[in-house]
Amino acid sequence: MDWKRFGFIALIITVLFGVVVVVGQAKQPPLLIITSMLATTIAVATPLTLGALSGVYCERAGVVNIGIEGMMLTAAFFGWLGGIYMFQIYHMDAMVSIVLGVFFAILTGAIMALLHAVLSITFKVDQIIGGTVINILAVGLTGFLNRQLFFGKGSVFGGSVPASPGVLPTIHVPITELFTSICGSSAACLENVQAVNRVFDQKPIAMGAILLVFLSHYVLFNTRWGLRTRAVGEHPKAADTVGINVAKMRYANVLIGGMFAGLAGAYFTIESVPSFEPLLTNGRGFISLAAMIFGNWTPIGAWAAALVFGASQALLINMQIYRDVIPPQWAFLQQSYIVGLTPYILTMFILTGIIGRTTPPAADGVPYEK
Amino acid sequence: MKKLYFVMALLIVASMVLTACGGTPTAAPTAAPTEPPVVATEAPTAAPTEPPVVELTQADCVKPEVFCVGLVTDVGKVNDKSFNQSAWEGVQQSQTDGVADLVQFIETSDAKDYAKNIATFGDAGFDVIVTVGFGLTEATFAAGAAYPDLKFIGVDQFQAWQFTEDTADDSANVTGLNFPEDNAGFLVGALASMMSASHKIGAVCGTDVVPPVWRFGEGYKAGAAYADGMNGTTTEVFVVYHSDVGFDKTFTDPEWGAQTAKSMMDQGADAIFGCGGLTGNGAITAAAQAGAYAIGVDADQYLTLPEAAPRMLSSAMKLITPGVAELAAMAKDGTIAAGNFTGLAGYAPFHDLDGEVSAEIKAAMEAINAGLLDGSITTGVAPTKPAE
Repeated sequence: MDWKRFGFIALIITVLFGVVVVVGQAKQPPLLIITSMLATTIAVATPLTLGALSGVYCERAGVVNIGIEGMMLTAAFFGWLGGIYMFQIYHMDAMVSIVLGVFFAILTGAIMALLHAVLSITFKVDQIIGGTVINILAVGLTGFLNRQLFFGKGSVFGGSVPASPGVLPTIHVPITELFTSICGSSAACLENVQAVNRVFDQKPIAMGAILLVFLSHYVLFNTRWGLRTRAVGEHPKAADTVGINVAKMRYANVLIGGMFAGLAGAYFTIESVPSFEPLLTNGRGFISLAAMIFGNWTPIGAWAAALVFGASQALLINMQIYRDVIPPQWAFLQQSYIVGLTPYILTMFILTGIIGRTTPPAADGVPYEK
Repeated sequence: MKKLYFVMALLIVASMVLTACGGTPTAAPTAAPTEPPVVATEAPTAAPTEPPVVELTQADCVKPEVFCVGLVTDVGKVNDKSFNQSAWEGVQQSQTDGVADLVQFIETSDAKDYAKNIATFGDAGFDVIVTVGFGLTEATFAAGAAYPDLKFIGVDQFQAWQFTEDTADDSANVTGLNFPEDNAGFLVGALASMMSASHKIGAVCGTDVVPPVWRFGEGYKAGAAYADGMNGTTTEVFVVYHSDVGFDKTFTDPEWGAQTAKSMMDQGADAIFGCGGLTGNGAITAAAQAGAYAIGVDADQYLTLPEAAPRMLSSAMKLITPGVAELAAMAKDGTIAAGNFTGLAGYAPFHDLDGEVSAEIKAAMEAINAGLLDGSITTGVAPTKPAE
């Protein structure tokens, strides 16, 4: 475990939260601020976490994937489209359509990843170029189809976006119910419990992403599959010598990575808001890559880094909520542009390697020639 | 290796073609170059049947005694239940009022066609051309110079030239129909404050660099404060403007809007005002989903956001229909002046939540609206965000 790295991450998150607590305590109790920020942080970090996991799988197997952004965008579009199609054309139940939409998104991510795999593993194309192709293709494909299907004359949906089946519901974790008897008649106690409960009341993909982080950690470092994955990423020749099919392992992991990116795409259009916008992923795929590098190509590290980005987003929102009570000497925090730059400045700091060198898998980005 | 290059080349070409196609989806499939793309004399939704006195056609518009009003929509349909439709209803009203003899619209399907669509009416000899939406500001201004004899009404188009020292860029025939956004925000702010059980309300907006957005947000605060003063309550108002380095981005980030709204609701807010395009829509949808009161902007969003409709309390509305009709009448009798014209603001009906709004609140809202209209209530909001 890389404690220095985790310590640094914990420090940044504490500072970001601390600023808001100090400023906002005039208006709200600190516990409420912290739990609300935690809830926002976890939700905002979801696509970054999944994107970073996608990168971890691909790169641990030796395939650089800068096409995560494109995979997310395509999956967001097709997941959303699939949901609407099922709902409006086949008149399926809203919940069924939503769940099918998630599957469409994952499938789309896998198909885009298959393209990347064919290019980079079978055809041994430069993987950066392959990823770029996917990103450009995604922008063109989704923009084109979005216009054609919804806004073109004589289009399937008659020129306007139809009602979507909605979004995934929040899953309530019954902490409040559990503590109701313990709190008794104390209203303050119950209020605190409710505040804490909000952190855990997340939507399925947000919760699933956290489970997938630990699952991925287990798979990569404690199973035969993980060992083989890392072997083909570190020293494919050695892996080949002991009888591991390098191409097969790489294909499988790139496809798994694509599914993670697809799930990240589903977060945007099926979990967060039921609408699609051209370019809606807005660079989050690239920030995931930064998170992956910051996390040193480990699932848990990448998750922690994703949380930093989530926390800076939460800071940005809360600084405006408490704009009226910001003390004059901290007036720069009112300049929303400065606060808005926080994630990007953090990314630069993180990428300079200020908190320790990061070591990519040895064969990362190198096509395997027998 | 040859095969490899072929595959790469194919993919890159394919992606470029698709990217290019994304920009020009319609490619004017049916219309011959001389014909207008889509011209209709009646709205697709049932319009009031007019008595057919004399059957006028577009060709009659060149005659000076025939007063023709044309409308060019922003990208989208004329029955979009939003800006386009409200403006078209205003144009139709000018016909039923006896102002216009002939009214037609052109639906814009791509931003590249703005100038072309305006020119279609200009060349046909229309007297007034109404263009709908902020996006057509520049195209309308340019058309004003190209067709000096016509009058142009730009809905939601701020005429910045009126405030510049330089008179060389002034227009003589373009009138921008703008709205007191602070009044609209004030109304829904007061409503949210009176409806909130937790006395915490929120607003999620696009960037405050855009003056109308700033006026909506600050008007909302002022309205809440006014209602507090009336009822002796204290309402906490959270107003968050999206501040991204990319300007357009602040209006097209529904995910951010949803998260921000959720963050406010986590801190106790139970009414959320979404102001700022798709960002605001994200906030409205998230609020409705969480069971809070959702408040829309610009048009009656109960009609445009079906996902949020059941929890849609009201919307801060720009009253486009009467504004367009009034300006069209002014254009006919020659009293219209180039520059900015301020229309009216209002609030949308409560629809599904009508039963939850008490008679006292309804009366208070009507009183506030009347006060804003006769000037006895002022919002005190500066037109633009003061420099910090």
